[in-house]
Amino acid sequence: MTAIRVTDLAKSYGTLVAVDGVSFEVARGETFGLLGPNGAGKSTTIGMIVGALRPDRGSVTVDGEADPTRPALRGRIGVAPQSLALYGDLTAEENLDFFGRLYALSGARLKTRVEWALAFAGLADRRRDRVHTYSGGMQRRLNLVCGLIHDPPVLLMDEPTVGVDPQSRNAIFDNIEALKREGRTIVYTTHYMEEAERLCDRVAIMDRGKILALDTVKGLLRHSNLPADRADLESVFLTLTGRTLRD
Amino acid sequence: MKVVWTIATKDLKLLRRDRAAFFWVLGFPILVALFFGSIIGGGGDRAPLPVAIVDLDGSDYSRAIAGRLRASSALKAKDTTLDSARTFVRKGDLVAYVALRPGVSRSFGFGGDSTSGIEIGVDPRRVAEKEYVKGLVTAALFETMRGSFSSGFGKRQIQENLAAIRADSTLRPVERARSEALYRSLETFLTALDSSGFNAGASGAAGADGAGAPGAKSGSSGGGPNLRVVEVAEDDSGPRSAFEVTFPSSIAWALIGVCMTFAISIVTERVSGTFLRLRLAPISRAQVLAGKGLACFLAAMFSVSALLAIGILFLHVRVSDPLMLAAAIAASAFCFTGVMMLVSTFGRSHQSVSGAGWAIMLVMSMTGGGMIPLIAMPAWMQTVSNFSLVKWAVLSVEGAVWRGFGWGEMLPVLAVPIAAGLVGIVIGTRLLQASDG
Repeated sequence: MTAIRVTDLAKSYGTLVAVDGVSFEVARGETFGLLGPNGAGKSTTIGMIVGALRPDRGSVTVDGEADPTRPALRGRIGVAPQSLALYGDLTAEENLDFFGRLYALSGARLKTRVEWALAFAGLADRRRDRVHTYSGGMQRRLNLVCGLIHDPPVLLMDEPTVGVDPQSRNAIFDNIEALKREGRTIVYTTHYMEEAERLCDRVAIMDRGKILALDTVKGLLRHSNLPADRADLESVFLTLTGRTLRD
Repeated sequence: MKVVWTIATKDLKLLRRDRAAFFWVLGFPILVALFFGSIIGGGGDRAPLPVAIVDLDGSDYSRAIAGRLRASSALKAKDTTLDSARTFVRKGDLVAYVALRPGVSRSFGFGGDSTSGIEIGVDPRRVAEKEYVKGLVTAALFETMRGSFSSGFGKRQIQENLAAIRADSTLRPVERARSEALYRSLETFLTALDSSGFNAGASGAAGADGAGAPGAKSGSSGGGPNLRVVEVAEDDSGPRSAFEVTFPSSIAWALIGVCMTFAISIVTERVSGTFLRLRLAPISRAQVLAGKGLACFLAAMFSVSALLAIGILFLHVRVSDPLMLAAAIAASAFCFTGVMMLVSTFGRSHQSVSGAGWAIMLVMSMTGGGMIPLIAMPAWMQTVSNFSLVKWAVLSVEGAVWRGFGWGEMLPVLAVPIAAGLVGIVIGTRLLQASDG
């Protein structure tokens, strides 16, 4: 059963082609990785899937619905943006409470979800501290659970481990694996190969707005034509995207 | 509406926790009002009270009283007719008038009927000024009476009055005896007073503390001078203190502070990504922007109301029409909510929005009465100020505070900020939506 279908998606900013004819499908309950160097078009693709950006061409359907800006559909999608989309002068609890209310949560249900999110992110004991006093890792974990507060079946995470220490990174991996076990559909963008190998059922390697390869990690390795002793995802990635600096 | 309120309360909570922003929204406007109010003349030593003196008696005695009042450093006296004096007081050009009625010399300003004493005309709301002037007049009366007795005028007047009483065949013997006894007692009292070396106010000036002068005290306890206070209601056509000018002017800074704080907060949300979260929630963009606008409107209402409350409670700023003031505050807050929406589209970074926003705000404030009060502007600048939204906000508040606007005058003034607010909200919202595509 397809949860997300992306067909011939394209987006340009002036003369810069950010996404150029991208197509893929994500099955329900699958964790799908979008790998690519900086500027590959991963975040723009995510933006179009969630309806934050209007595509120049192509279409997106989520749970069979074509317009991701419809409120009913938005209530089924959770997003953890690449930037830390949090209010630094509010506490973790206040951030979660606020975002929960935007998704029409209230009363006991809201309270239960806030408690769950704080526990899930390991922030229960710092719940009443203002977010600007948190470490980078704590803010990343909170950024993730703010996208989960309304318990969405579809979750899009845009580089959720950028700039965090190994402990927080590991905690985020554990969180994502827990979400996978719950059967949620996850789209995960990253440029860290080990994250994709550990978490993703299938991976699409993107560069310059196009998908260069799409398969399971094992499938990508199998079709890479690299010697068996050198065949890892990073080698495949560099073979496909090249070694020149991007920024 | 629930979502709009949720967004608005979140923004107000963030504003409350941002001390720097809170200072610009409330603290700075208060400082501006106090500073300019003080240097314009709202504080410091009491200035001489402007009063009119009307001598209707035309005697040496009344001229002497008038002379003492003129010489008082506590008064700035102006000689005029009774009708003119009443007009000056009614217009608020003078605080009070003192009319020495015909016959005041015969009774030395004591006793007699209601038409022969001293009339003080003052607005009934000026309670403190009324008592102050009464004290000064009483002191001047006692000193004049004493001085006139020493000079022989008083003794002559008493003798003339005694002769008139004796010659008056219409008086019954009992009345004649009582009147003669009164004048002889007065003669004895003044002789004793003169020989005792009593010297209060001998300089001839009543002094700034005239209400507390010994003469005033003894006069009020010994039957009292014949003072009659006439209420002359002022037309409310001008500010009664510098703070009534500076507090409405300082609302410009409160509105600008709120406007810029929220315009920058929208950019902050766009840069940090929280605006993206708001947009991805199952709510419309209109609801998101309405929440922002509501927070800005409420903050502006609070800031302006708090500012005026301080002026009213502590600095005696008087409001002519509270309902009109509420309408003026609401219209001004609405206007700058629209301006905020527009300013927030001036760029995608703090620097661009802040720079462009403050540049526009400063020009609007300079030309609109935020720096130079509207009342003090030359004619050409008042014409220029019509293009500043600050002017209309300040004018509407002034209209309810001291300009004495009726609703007929106020409604066109309110229409300008309301229309500007609507235009700002519509254009700002469209530009914000277009820039997020």
